[in-house]
Amino acid sequence: MIKKIAILAFFILTQITFAQKYITRTGTTNFKASVATFEAIEATNKSTTVILKTDTGDIAAQLFIAAFTFKVALMQEHFNENYMDSDKFPKATFRGALKGFTIDTLKKEYPLLGTLTLRGIKKEIETTATVMITEGTIGITSNFTIKPQDFNIKIPKIVRKKIAKSININLNYELVEKK
Amino acid sequence: MNLSKKSKWILSILVLGCISFYAVYRYAYKPHITIENSQTEYLGTSNNFIEKIKEDASVWNNKIVQLRGVISSKENRGIFLSNSIYCQFREDVNTSKLKKGQNISLKGRVIGYDDLLEELKLDQCIIQE
Repeated sequence: MIKKIAILAFFILTQITFAQKYITRTGTTNFKASVATFEAIEATNKSTTVILKTDTGDIAAQLFIAAFTFKVALMQEHFNENYMDSDKFPKATFRGALKGFTIDTLKKEYPLLGTLTLRGIKKEIETTATVMITEGTIGITSNFTIKPQDFNIKIPKIVRKKIAKSININLNYELVEKK
Repeated sequence: MNLSKKSKWILSILVLGCISFYAVYRYAYKPHITIENSQTEYLGTSNNFIEKIKEDASVWNNKIVQLRGVISSKENRGIFLSNSIYCQFREDVNTSKLKKGQNISLKGRVIGYDDLLEELKLDQCIIQE
């Protein structure tokens, strides 16, 4: 009996120690809000923090709005000051999970569900993510679209035609095991 | 010059048009702010800066700082100072010679306090001699 409990305890303990976290501090998040005939409106954030719990598939991600870089400096300024109020709302966060995630499958698509918080407004996101597992790293790529009005982002009439109605968000994260 | 009044008018409007076009162009396509040309808002050791962060981290968002300290660990694209300041280097910076335990002075932008990992994040860092 004691032996059985000991074995059980051993298994539970090893399960806990194997509940590992994979993280990145330099994930790439990109968005495109371009309309074909006008100048490209896109920006990239290369310092996105992402944490994945490999036992549950839980994901937490966070980025700073001001760390998005645009090709045109003035566009970046307007993005921060007029559209995103990055002084007032410096962060965007995502909390969710890769449904049915398992570290044993090397390449697979998983449903990615969660809540995106932008400018203090929460919105449910539903998409699929491609997960590639190599030794010591987990690559996650995904994309989804959001609408500016869902996050109370006001776009002045004069530029309305130049900014896409729905904005494409692309994610490319390479996570490494947290030691 | 034997220009008629009319052509003088046309000429000056053309010149003015060119100047204003140039001015608008300069404004719309002004260069990005670089770390080198930005004024440092904090100069000191990373350990002292952590104390400042503990008081209120948000006031330092988007501020350019220059920090001295010991590299407590090295990551792919950045280093840690004092265990809890993550400094991401600008992409043109060569970090291959940097080692754990080494003293460094760097200049970069505070992007904010990352509460997921409980560390301060800097980006665009460049090494100061």
